[in-house]
Amino acid sequence: MNTIDEFVALLHDEVGLPVSADDVETGLDQVPGWDSVHLLTLMMALERRTGRTIPMPELLEAPSLGHIYRLASA
Amino acid sequence: MEPLVELTAAHRSGTLADRYSDVPALLSGLSDADLTRAGQILSTVDRRAVRERHPAVPELRVAVTGHGTLSGIVAPLTAELARHGLLPDIRVGDYGTYVSDLSSPLSALHDGDPKLVLCVLTHHAVFEQVPVPWRVEDAVAALTSQVGLLRGLVARYDGSATLVLNTLPLPQSVLARLVDHRSRARLGAAWREANAELLRLSVEHTGVVVLDLDALLAGGAALSEPRMSGYAKAHLTPELLGAYARQVGHLARAVSGRGKKVLAVDLDETVWGGVIGEVGQEGIEVADTYRGEAFAAFQGVVKQLASQGVLLAAVSKNDLAPVLDALRTHPRMTLREEDFVRVVADWRVKHEHLSQLAADLNLGVDSIVFVDDNPFECGLVRHALPGVAVVQVDAEPALHVEKLLRDGWFDAVEATDEDRARPARYRDELVRTDFLQSFDSLEDYLAELGVRVRFEPATAAEAARVSQMTLRTNQFNLTTVRLQQADVLRLLDDRDAEVLVIESGDRFGDNGLVGAVFLRREGDAVRIDNFVLSCRVFARGIEQTCLAEVLRRAAATGATHVLASHRPTAKNHGVGEFYPRNGFTPVGEDGGVREFRHDLADIPTGHRHVRLTAAATPEGSTA
Repeated sequence: MNTIDEFVALLHDEVGLPVSADDVETGLDQVPGWDSVHLLTLMMALERRTGRTIPMPELLEAPSLGHIYRLASA
Repeated sequence: MEPLVELTAAHRSGTLADRYSDVPALLSGLSDADLTRAGQILSTVDRRAVRERHPAVPELRVAVTGHGTLSGIVAPLTAELARHGLLPDIRVGDYGTYVSDLSSPLSALHDGDPKLVLCVLTHHAVFEQVPVPWRVEDAVAALTSQVGLLRGLVARYDGSATLVLNTLPLPQSVLARLVDHRSRARLGAAWREANAELLRLSVEHTGVVVLDLDALLAGGAALSEPRMSGYAKAHLTPELLGAYARQVGHLARAVSGRGKKVLAVDLDETVWGGVIGEVGQEGIEVADTYRGEAFAAFQGVVKQLASQGVLLAAVSKNDLAPVLDALRTHPRMTLREEDFVRVVADWRVKHEHLSQLAADLNLGVDSIVFVDDNPFECGLVRHALPGVAVVQVDAEPALHVEKLLRDGWFDAVEATDEDRARPARYRDELVRTDFLQSFDSLEDYLAELGVRVRFEPATAAEAARVSQMTLRTNQFNLTTVRLQQADVLRLLDDRDAEVLVIESGDRFGDNGLVGAVFLRREGDAVRIDNFVLSCRVFARGIEQTCLAEVLRRAAATGATHVLASHRPTAKNHGVGEFYPRNGFTPVGEDGGVREFRHDLADIPTGHRHVRLTAAATPEGSTA
C-alpha cells in the first residue's frame, strides 16, 4: 500500500467506513462513523494487504487514521 | 463482475439498499473470508431504505452478549443472515455485561423483540477467575461455578427469543501450562464433563440451543489469535466467528420459518457413479469400489435426512424404468424407492419438475434444496427458480456429503415425531392426488375421502409441534405470528388464551397434527389471534369446520362477537378472503392488516363431508 488514496479506498471497501482523504489527519473521535469496533477489522485488512505484522499496542494508541497509515506503510 | 466487487460498487454508489434483493445471489458463492468482508459492507446498509424498497424481505433482530469483545461477530453474521434472504438487525450488548443482560427482563438485550439471543463464551470467562499460579483444583472450581452460573441464567431466562449458548473450548495454550500429563488429563476430563452439562441445558430447556464449538474447531477454524485476544479481548478468530455465524444463520432460517423441507437430487453422478442409461444397472457405482463407496456414503446421508422428515425426491434425465428398477432391485443400493416421496425420470427440463413437485406437495419452490453435479442444470435452476437452494456437487463424490451438509438446510431447533412421519404422509398425499383425479368434482372426492377432524385444546406435550406449525407454515397462516415452544407453553398457562389443535385423518390414514387456532378472550369478544393449517390438508373442508366450531364455542361461552384478522405476507395472500368467505364482515384495515368481525347471529355448520370426532369442551370463562 503506497498511497493515502489506497488507504482511503481500503477503509471504504473493507471496513465500510465512508471517509475521505480529508478525514485522515483528524482525531479518530472526529472521524464520521468511526467506532473502536472498526480498528480490528482495519488491522486485519491492513495485515492482509501489506503482508506485514502491525504492532498492535501502537495501533490501539494511534490518534488518527493517518497515524495508522504510517504504521502500516512504515 | 466478481460478486464482492459488485457489492462494493453498489456500496460506493449508494445503491446497496436498492439492490438488496440481489444480495443472496451475490453472496451464494463467496468464501468465508469474502463473506465477512461482504458482511462488513452490508452492515452499513440503510435498513429503513431496504424496508421501504423491499417490504417482502423479512427483518430479523439478533441480540449478542457474552464475554470479551464481540463486535467481530457483526460482519460474518450480517453476511450469513443476508445470504438466507433476511435483513439482519444485530445489536451487540455492552462489554462484559452478559450476566445482567440475561438475568434482567428489563435489559436492553430484549429491546425490539429479538428472535435470537446469542451469548458467546470462551475459556477466558473461566480463567479470569483463577489465581496466578493456579492448580487444577482452582480451574475446576472456577469451571464448576461458571457452569452453575449459566445453569441459573438459563433457568431464569424468560425472553421469547431462542437463547444460543456454546460449549467452552480448552486450547493447548491452557493445557500446556500444566507440565504433567496426569494434571492435563484431570483438567481435560473435568472440562468435558462441564461441556456435557452445558449441552444438556438444551435438552432440558425449550428455546435453548447450545452450539458445540468443538465441532467447529474440528472443522479447522483456529480458536484465537494471541494479539487480538490479549490486546483487544477479541478471543475468537474471524474464521471461528465465521463458522459460528454460519450455524446461527441456519438457526435464523429455522426460527423465522424459512427452513427447507424438500431435498431434490439428481441421480447419475450425484447419487450413483456413472450414467445408468449408458452403463446399465450393473455398471453404476453404488458400493464396493472407491467411488462406489463414496456414493454409498452420500446415499446414507440422504437416507438419514429423509428419515428425519426431509421430503426426498429424485429428478433425473433418464428413462423411468431403469431408474425404478435400480432403486428396487440393485442388491447394493442404499437408497430405495420408498425413501423418496417422488421419483421423476424423463427428459423435460428440471426446473419444471421442481415447480410441479412443489405444487403437488403444496409447498413453495423456496422449500426445495436441489443437488446436481451438472453445472448447466444447476445454472438453469438458479436462473429459473431463484428461491431454490442449489447445491452443486462435482466429479469427486467424496466431497458430496460435506457440500450437502455444510449449509444446514434442514436444521431445526427440535425434530418432532410428526417430522419423522412426514415423508410417509406426503407419499400418501400423492396417492390422494391420483385418487382425486378419478373424480368429477371436489365434492364427490371429499364425500369419498371421509375426512375426520379432532379439534381440542393443545396439551403441553403438543407445544413443540404447535410451535413448529407456526414456524414452518407460510401459506395458510392468517397472521404469521411465529411462536417458539416457550411462547406456546406460556399461552397454555394464560387464562385468557386458548390454543386448539387440529388433527385430521381420512380413508388413507392419519394426517397427524395439522393445524392450530389461537384464541384470546377480550371482554365480550373472542379474538382469533391466528389460524394455522398445514398446506397438506387445506381445501378439504377442515378449515371451515374448525372455524364454525370456534364460532359455536364462542357463542356457548357467552361471547357476543368474534374478531379476526389477516396480516398479509408474501406467502399467505391465498387466505386473504378466508374470514369474509365464512361469514365475517370486514371492519377496517390498518397498515395492510385487515380486521374482521362475526356477530354470531348466524353460525354456519361445518363442511358436510367433514366429521368432527371430538369437539373441545368450553371451560370457565376462557374461549
